[in-house]
Amino acid sequence: MTNENTPIGRVTVSPRAIATIAYQAARQSYGVVGLTSKNLMEGITQVIVKDPTHGIEVKHTEDKICIDIYVIIEYGTRIKTVAASVSNTIKFNVEKALGMPVEQVNVHVRGLRVSDTD
Amino acid sequence: MDLEQQDVQTPKQLYPNQKYPVDGQVFKNLIESSLTWLRTNQQAVNVLNVFPVPDGDTGTNMVLTMQAAWDEIVNSPEHNIGKLTHHVSNGALMGARGNSGVILSQLWRGFARAMDNVESLDGKLFITALHQGRNTAYKGVVRPVEGTILTVAKDIDAEATRCLADTQDPYDILERIVAAADASVLRTPDLLPVLKDAGVVDAGGKGLFFILDGMLRYIKGLPLDVAAASVQPLSAMKMENTMESIEPGQDFEVVVDFHPAEELNIPQFYEDLQQIGTSIQLGEGDGIYRMHIHVPADKVYEPIKYTESLGVVTKAAIENLRAQMEKIEHDRASSIQFTLVEPGQIATVAVAPGPGIARVFASLGVSAIVEGGQTMNPSTQEILNAFENFPTDQVIILPNNKNIILAAEAAAQLTVKHVTVVPSRSVPQGMAAMMRLIPTGDSKEVVADMNAAMNDVETGEITIATRSVEIDGVNVKEGQHICLLNGKLVFACDNLKDATIGLLKKTHADHFELITLFYGNGVSRMEVDAVVDSIRKKFPKQEIEVQDGGQPHYQFIISVE
Repeated sequence: MTNENTPIGRVTVSPRAIATIAYQAARQSYGVVGLTSKNLMEGITQVIVKDPTHGIEVKHTEDKICIDIYVIIEYGTRIKTVAASVSNTIKFNVEKALGMPVEQVNVHVRGLRVSDTD
Repeated sequence: MDLEQQDVQTPKQLYPNQKYPVDGQVFKNLIESSLTWLRTNQQAVNVLNVFPVPDGDTGTNMVLTMQAAWDEIVNSPEHNIGKLTHHVSNGALMGARGNSGVILSQLWRGFARAMDNVESLDGKLFITALHQGRNTAYKGVVRPVEGTILTVAKDIDAEATRCLADTQDPYDILERIVAAADASVLRTPDLLPVLKDAGVVDAGGKGLFFILDGMLRYIKGLPLDVAAASVQPLSAMKMENTMESIEPGQDFEVVVDFHPAEELNIPQFYEDLQQIGTSIQLGEGDGIYRMHIHVPADKVYEPIKYTESLGVVTKAAIENLRAQMEKIEHDRASSIQFTLVEPGQIATVAVAPGPGIARVFASLGVSAIVEGGQTMNPSTQEILNAFENFPTDQVIILPNNKNIILAAEAAAQLTVKHVTVVPSRSVPQGMAAMMRLIPTGDSKEVVADMNAAMNDVETGEITIATRSVEIDGVNVKEGQHICLLNGKLVFACDNLKDATIGLLKKTHADHFELITLFYGNGVSRMEVDAVVDSIRKKFPKQEIEVQDGGQPHYQFIISVE
């Protein structure tokens, strides 16, 4: 739980809630076409899973939030730029919603989806 | 997403006939026009940026992406438009910056795919290509946000499809889709509340409009180097330091807030104000317009009268600029003026340990300085940040310290730009190298020249020993002045004067012409003058230059050449 004390009690935000914010942000990020679980078993990937914690890991120590996201990116885009953009978008959205700094967003590109070949 | 033009020889002609096929070379001119027009309006796009906030420089990102596309074809003699467009697509992909850049590269990618190996473009193919561009761009996102560049691309495609029934003329189609793009951009705030809240239109969509509009302007022979009259969000208006210098007719700054009685005709508004003064800016937000202008003393009240004729003035402020200018000039005298980077030219970045040294590097023509030196090595990221936004892909880094060479090389690996590290191990070496910079030259030759020049200079450094030690056969006691020649400890003694003279002897300064001393922030000018006097006595034939280097730890960095 991520905690914050208020005069009349405490607010806690669960990693799952944070993951949901990150998930929504990732879905809107240009170039990201899917999320996949951390342990990619036998090449089975689920493209856009409904479970928001699937493909996103949220860790926090004290006041620091660290997010790992496992994504599938559209073939033909510049992966470096897309990854940087996802990470920025997630950081921005989570920070905006939580009012707490996000220490790290690590983007793991687990695969590419080929819609068109050139 | 783009178009063609016709006769390359007479591009300024208004609406030419399609006698000439829109082939690769014609298309190349159009791409160049897109890039030029987008760059002209880069700031106008940048200030629109509110979504998503992290990507705060959409205009710059789109310019860099288009620049990369243009670089790919700039020397191409290709007449096959299909092949040329593939090069454009590749360039845009490799150079894609930011979200908007990635989307732009996908639009190009789809566009290029439709043109596979086609010799020249006709209206039907143009429409198909626009459609493909839109489709490819939409495949890149799971949940498209409407009110962005994607929406504008969709509206362009829709208009192009409507053209199918009416015309086969690529020029007509271009004109219609530019109008459609313009209208679509204006609708973006209705689709995306965050834009409406900020009182802006979508930046990426606006950038796409400029890309297409640049082509149309080229065909019509309209100028590409004067930015369009524009309204910016209030928050983006920069009232300070908008002036470069005092000119006649810029005595007063007048800022007026007003509610126009009817919808403002912006081009007309600009035109009228240009009769009164200069540095005109118009902002909009919170239900008001804010107008900013510089006027001569005898016209101070005219902007207010003029805006009163348009509606209700809610607030007016007048400021005499002379006092403000004096302050700006004072500040400017103490700030460093870097050399502006021209597209395609070689830009240099130097690491400098002190403000004085930074100033000297700036005067030699570097375009950016990274602070750092012996005990404060800059990170790879800091070096990267220094040049990443240059509008050129030819960059030379001068680390000026052996401990920074690695970081500089790492920065060179992290970018798509063509970056060369000239491994200068000291400030004097870096300066000697800078003397050989030819920004318009061939980068390989310039680098070779710089490397050679570094060996023509001897570097001396004087610092104070922090502990007693014996190195290279030299016995050093803590607190003594130690002298390094080209990085090697050669000499130690108790006072600064003897240390400097001793070091200069070791360099055989009497065989050289010029001795330059950069004194650090730990020595006073008086001490320096005393040392310089004794150097003059010992080396009467050599020219001696003294510079306030401002570096920490090192009393002197000495260049002998």
